[in-house]
Amino acid sequence: MNVATTELTRRFGRTMAVAGVTLDAGPGVYGLLGPNGAGKTSLLRMLATVIPPSSGRIRLLGHDPDIYRQRRQIRRRLGYVPQNLGFYPGFTVVEFVEYFALLKEMPSAEVHRAVAAAVERVGLGDKAKAKLRTLSGGMLRRVGIAQAIVNEPELLLLDEPTAGLDPAQRVAFRALLRDLGQRATVIVSTHLVEDVGAACTQVALMDRGKIVFHGTPDELTARGVGTTAAGDAPLERGYSAVLAETRS
Amino acid sequence: MTATPVTQVPTRPARARRVPLAAAGRLLRLELRRNVMLWMLPIVAALFWLITYRPAMAYPPLWNVRAMTMQTTALAIFVPTVVGVAAWLASREARHGMTDLLSGTSRPRWARQLATWAATTCWALVAYLGCVAVLYAVTARQGAWGGPLWWPAAVGAASLPAFSALGFAAGALRPSRFTTPLVAVAAFLALELTAQFIHGDHSPWQVSPLVAGPWENGADPGVATFYPYLPDLPIVQLIFLTGLTTALLGVLGLPAGSGGRRLRRSAAALTTAGLLAAITATTLAGTGRLDPRGMIAIPALHNPADNRPVPYTPVCSDTPIPICVHPAYSVHLPTVTAALEPVLSELAGLPDAPVRINQTAATYRQESGNGVSISRAGPAMSDTPPTLHILLPIQLARPVATDVLTAELWTNTARDILYNVIGGDRREKTEAQQAVAEAILKTSTLPPGTRTAAAAQRFAALSPAARHAWLTSHVAALRAGQITLAELP
Amino acid sequence: MTAAAAGKPPAGSAHAGLRLAWLHLTSRRVPAALAAIAVCAVALRIALHWQWNAYGALQLPLIFEAGCAAVIAATTASPFGEPERATGRWLPLLRLGTALTLTAAAAGALVAAGTGAHLAGGALDVLRNLAGLVGIGLLCAALLGGALTWTAPTAYLMIAIYALYTQWHGPALTTPWIWPARPPHDIGAALCAGLVFITGMAANALCGARDATNERPGSR
Repeated sequence: MNVATTELTRRFGRTMAVAGVTLDAGPGVYGLLGPNGAGKTSLLRMLATVIPPSSGRIRLLGHDPDIYRQRRQIRRRLGYVPQNLGFYPGFTVVEFVEYFALLKEMPSAEVHRAVAAAVERVGLGDKAKAKLRTLSGGMLRRVGIAQAIVNEPELLLLDEPTAGLDPAQRVAFRALLRDLGQRATVIVSTHLVEDVGAACTQVALMDRGKIVFHGTPDELTARGVGTTAAGDAPLERGYSAVLAETRS
Repeated sequence: MTATPVTQVPTRPARARRVPLAAAGRLLRLELRRNVMLWMLPIVAALFWLITYRPAMAYPPLWNVRAMTMQTTALAIFVPTVVGVAAWLASREARHGMTDLLSGTSRPRWARQLATWAATTCWALVAYLGCVAVLYAVTARQGAWGGPLWWPAAVGAASLPAFSALGFAAGALRPSRFTTPLVAVAAFLALELTAQFIHGDHSPWQVSPLVAGPWENGADPGVATFYPYLPDLPIVQLIFLTGLTTALLGVLGLPAGSGGRRLRRSAAALTTAGLLAAITATTLAGTGRLDPRGMIAIPALHNPADNRPVPYTPVCSDTPIPICVHPAYSVHLPTVTAALEPVLSELAGLPDAPVRINQTAATYRQESGNGVSISRAGPAMSDTPPTLHILLPIQLARPVATDVLTAELWTNTARDILYNVIGGDRREKTEAQQAVAEAILKTSTLPPGTRTAAAAQRFAALSPAARHAWLTSHVAALRAGQITLAELP
Repeated sequence: MTAAAAGKPPAGSAHAGLRLAWLHLTSRRVPAALAAIAVCAVALRIALHWQWNAYGALQLPLIFEAGCAAVIAATTASPFGEPERATGRWLPLLRLGTALTLTAAAAGALVAAGTGAHLAGGALDVLRNLAGLVGIGLLCAALLGGALTWTAPTAYLMIAIYALYTQWHGPALTTPWIWPARPPHDIGAALCAGLVFITGMAANALCGARDATNERPGSR
């Protein structure tokens, strides 16, 4: 398993953001759904080794992130796109991605090719020399994805990656996710259930810090069949049904 | 976006440790390209021109004056700039919301910060060394004697990494919008304050990189010409600055999250070693003593070889009594000659008059507080052949403009020369001696209407030939104090 | 909210106005700025405990005045950017009020710090120098953005410190544009400082600090 968590919790002051998550994930694309404040971002930040859990255990890519040396091993093989992607406006697209390639300790000889490949994969080849301050929101999002995949990560964590992407880009992005999911574990936190339906092999639904559903998109769709749950699409109705059931 | 990679990339990054230097070099190059210090270079260059270059060029081409002025004033420009830029760049991650993204990368935060600090420091050094190169090149082209003084430039250059580290540490540890302005102004204030606390030659505050010699003397044209530039204080300052840089960079590696346990231990060791070096240097600066040759000597570091005078061939004037100056001051020789020639014409050929006037080295003595007394090293007169040794006004620890120099040469140096010939060894001059001096110098310092003033006017009214003839026959008696006012022609 | 409502005073009550002012001040970290100004004033008071020589006595308060000016200018940076620029007509007044309040607070704090001590130049000197430096900082914010506001006051500080030094060790820099090197009652210097202050205030009120991205000031 690339991701194995046991009773993971994370507390911010009095707020319990993640309240005991047990999750195992191997290669594939995992969708993480849930309403605002469900704890998705906190869970991803813990999986990205950005914040430590308050309690519980995590093993990522066979390593324990509590131990510095192992955490460093994990980070070399990790890709992460946070919800609020920061950037240095004066950097060009290539420089920004190269910066992260170097910070992920990629072999220096490979950096140039890997950066070019990552930039092409997100469709920004023609903007490679453009300063980040000149890019649109959607393009910046793609730069964020490029830096995440530059090291061909075995664990890719994406927090709202399709926000700001146009429909064509979202379609292309789903294809990219499916491709990456062949070898790597990709965990995508999103509010867009159609992304989950189109790209994910597994889906987990979080509410109030807990995982309240874990299965395939089809299984989630099935939960909505025959109910009066809100939603324009079958998957949305499944999502609403599970939430309603949990909260009742 | 495409689902398949355009170029095959390695499926798993190999351990980067095999080529850490190449990766670090690339990281540094990236930081260099996008470093904000680059944008500050024109501002720094303009300030350097206004505050350092322009005043330095107003002084004669003396390496000592130009180098010592540069050390003090250039730092006042570079320090707040470098501190501000470093603090600003250090708070960059928080400002741009990059903290989470960067925390998830494997390279230790310390390494990332060091790359940014190094790039900032590199540009600051490039700017500083460029400014120094221009100043020194112009000074060399103006024909300054000897070679450039590198110690002041080295202290200035070593200050930049230290202050860059100071700003960086402040910005990284407290990434607030107020950190940059406050730390830039505070660094400037602290730098200026350190100089205010210097009282005497044994002050530990002399470790401040602003200090290029005895603080109250400032840029002293009298030092580092007859004797070498003493490296004692610069060495102490370099130790201090290296220690400060090391300690501050070490501090960056101390917080949790900077790196692994081993790395943080190394950071703690660096901090400790840096602090020890800085404390040692400060203690050493406190043992400083004003060397008779005009610079601060540190006994523990002093090399006796630096006490030996630097050999030189004096440059002499074509006057009745030749005036010979150190070649470093040859630029002043025409002024000195023009100012003293009338007196020398009167004295040439008189019995026991010097056949040559030599500029001599000054000797320095610390007085209470920051006071320094400067006097002539050795006796005024030496025999075979009779030679008079004088100090030029420019050797009195203050660079002076040409018109001021002429006035001082006439009122002080010419009078000294004259009294050496007509006044003898007595401190109190007789009325006759005063009248003769007043007449030859054509000054009016005597109270008008007095007998002495009248005698001076009478003697001044004589033709030069008559005056010279009278002096030739009476100078011995005049020197011995045996001539009265009435006996003056 | 209707389009008309967006341009009206918030909720039409003094309480709402005060609330808006408070939220604006908080967004600009004004409480922290006031603390920084207080630190500058206390440091000046401590520094005046010692005796300062001729130009040092004039240079010392100037350093703290520049510190306060840089802090005031740093508050101009908006954390909201364009969404805030697209709001109603209160923003220029809020910017102006914030800068004026902070300038007055800094002047008061520095003058109070010098009361009873030997403050070279006196209160008039503090007012003139601070006003001019604040103007420089605000102009710098409008041109370069909130993050770089410190550069111009710091650069000007260096020039002014040097100009004060040249009053004792010539050749002296005597232009009224370097007002700290002129006597407190010098009309030309006061006019220059006042002009820079008014221009800076106007630029700040009308444009605010340039945003971190490439938007140009002027868009409200």
